Amino acid sequence: MKPEWRKYLGVRAPRYTSYPSALHFDEQATAADYERRLGEVGLYEPLSLYVHIPFCRQLCWYCGCNMRVENDYSRALRYVRALNTEIQTVGRHLGGAGRPLSVHFGGGTPNYLKVAEIGDILGAIELALGLTDGTRLAIELDPRLIADGDIERLAGLGFNRMSLGVQDFDAEVQAAINRLQSFEMIESAVGEMRRVGVNDISFDLLYGLPKQTHDSFTETLEKTIALSPDRVAVFGYAHLPSALPRQRLLDETLLPPEETRADLAGRADDMLVASGYRRVGFDHYAKPDNLLARADLEGRLRRNFQGFTDDVADTMLGFGASAIGYVGGLYAQNAKTLGDYYRRTDSQELATMRGLILSPREMAIGRTIRELLCRSQADIAALLASLAPTEANAVCARLDALEADGLISWEGDLVALAPEARPLSRVVAMALDPYEKAMAGNSLRSLARAV
Amino acid sequence: MPLIRLAAGLNRPGKMGERLETAEKHCKAQDRPKSCDLCEVRGQSICADLGPREFLHVEKTMARRAVVKNKTLMIEGEPNESLYIVVDGSFRLSKVLEDGRRQVTGFLFKGDFVGVRSTKASAYTAEALEDSSVCYFPHRYLDEIAIDAPGVKDRLIARGQTEYHKAQDHIVLLGKKTAEERVISFIDLISKNIGSSDGPSRRRVPLPMSRQDIADYLGLRLETLSRTLAALKQDGSLLELARHYVVIAA
Repeated sequence: MKPEWRKYLGVRAPRYTSYPSALHFDEQATAADYERRLGEVGLYEPLSLYVHIPFCRQLCWYCGCNMRVENDYSRALRYVRALNTEIQTVGRHLGGAGRPLSVHFGGGTPNYLKVAEIGDILGAIELALGLTDGTRLAIELDPRLIADGDIERLAGLGFNRMSLGVQDFDAEVQAAINRLQSFEMIESAVGEMRRVGVNDISFDLLYGLPKQTHDSFTETLEKTIALSPDRVAVFGYAHLPSALPRQRLLDETLLPPEETRADLAGRADDMLVASGYRRVGFDHYAKPDNLLARADLEGRLRRNFQGFTDDVADTMLGFGASAIGYVGGLYAQNAKTLGDYYRRTDSQELATMRGLILSPREMAIGRTIRELLCRSQADIAALLASLAPTEANAVCARLDALEADGLISWEGDLVALAPEARPLSRVVAMALDPYEKAMAGNSLRSLARAV
Repeated sequence: MPLIRLAAGLNRPGKMGERLETAEKHCKAQDRPKSCDLCEVRGQSICADLGPREFLHVEKTMARRAVVKNKTLMIEGEPNESLYIVVDGSFRLSKVLEDGRRQVTGFLFKGDFVGVRSTKASAYTAEALEDSSVCYFPHRYLDEIAIDAPGVKDRLIARGQTEYHKAQDHIVLLGKKTAEERVISFIDLISKNIGSSDGPSRRRVPLPMSRQDIADYLGLRLETLSRTLAALKQDGSLLELARHYVVIAA
């Protein structure tokens, strides 16, 4: 990385999985807003569904998700009942409109649930929202909770994309984050997935974890490449103990310095690309024949709450505690606590507690930022036109500075990311975002480093 | 001479012409019937409301064509300039969704219409589920007739179901709460269209479409559909369950 770019390494930037980010959501957006927009969904409008399972068997010390450690399975069954009710409630408001193209189970740990419960949730979706044999089903799996026969049963339900939270293969790193899982465990899970015909396997890797070194991460990458997953996501660990108290369990003194973080990210990039993976967005890699790589190649890459995706649906419905949906310019987030979530679902109400109704200018900014992140270039004319003159000037001044440092090229209305500046994509995105400056006080506490 | 004008239309350059020529190859008999008097659906619904003078116009401008099983009548995204009436057989309406998957949006039976408006890009593909035949009326000529016989187009389509009615049917079906309700409502719908008496208090309902088509149409997985059909047979809601028909109580 160029020396003059070092100053950007420590910059805190939103991940821009939504725009504006969930930090901007408030209680002005209500269940009534969500209900109205569900009623406006078109007959065959594509839907992308997300189902949140907030339970885990054990706490990982790096975790920033909405989850709880749960040892009583009857509580999970209680949650599944609430989910089924929520799905029916949403189905009632849709009244037959909308067609799910994909369902993504995330968490927490979706396979905290037994396969039978996952099947029940799919059954509820089928009856309330429609599910056909072509609907793409994806699930995040904790390798430590995969029991004999689970993978085969999940494939039998139609899951054709499975994602493993690998994080790091090194035993010392795993001990430092409280997530012990052997290479053999992952290897056997992958073998089982291949055996039953799952041809879209993803690994999530994390860099910036305690105890990680150039050599240890190189070994993690070698093992990853040996298992040959179809996609690899390489995320930077966001250490935000003041916003996420459970991260205080993790020994801060073992965290690698900024320079090492950049080196680890660079190492992953070098090795994965050398092994034939295609770079997708700023933190995903996919084999050239994978759907995600093809979407990128054909300019169809999108960004949603799951990161970079080939999903084509504009409308997203989130189910479960804290899940976020997007319908007709509205972000709607469900109640975060189980108590609030159950109160709403038990009375057959929508569970929306927070959200945001986007203004045309927020839509214009969001479109431009997504374009930049997904295509590495963006036409900024619509964005500038939507801003007040002082804001537009500020955006231009920030872009000028980035151009002077060589992160971007800027011709007319077209801003293009320099190829080597890909890891700093979010810094460039933030320059286009008039909100972030207003949030500066907040950002240090709640935003992750750009690299 | 309408036939000659029609033929001239077919030879027009461009996509429409090409598509019709392609369609032509799949047609067994594209001759128009000697007389609409012989048309079996005429009295039943379609043209019954027309006055003698209007009918004369209609008879002049329409043509009959056969569409062989699996061949398309109209293709999504391509121009369509004719109104089609199904005279015999059945068609599947479908559209390709954003992710490239096909969504079955409805079925056309005897007396149904498709292509109600002339368009540069059809919203649907209509594909024959069996050897079928249609009458077609180029919109251009229907518009010419309108000068002499106002409202004839509206009245032509007033009694049959159009693709818009099909969308209504579909959303009602998709709004049903259980798989059983969805499947039974679907069979009732087909029964109203093409069901026939099968002895005392028995009604035979043909299912010319595949199980996969039905599952896609109803927003169900194939396995769920099969399970539901078997359960309906078991509990007596279906008196008979065969690959291409069911028998229900009349």
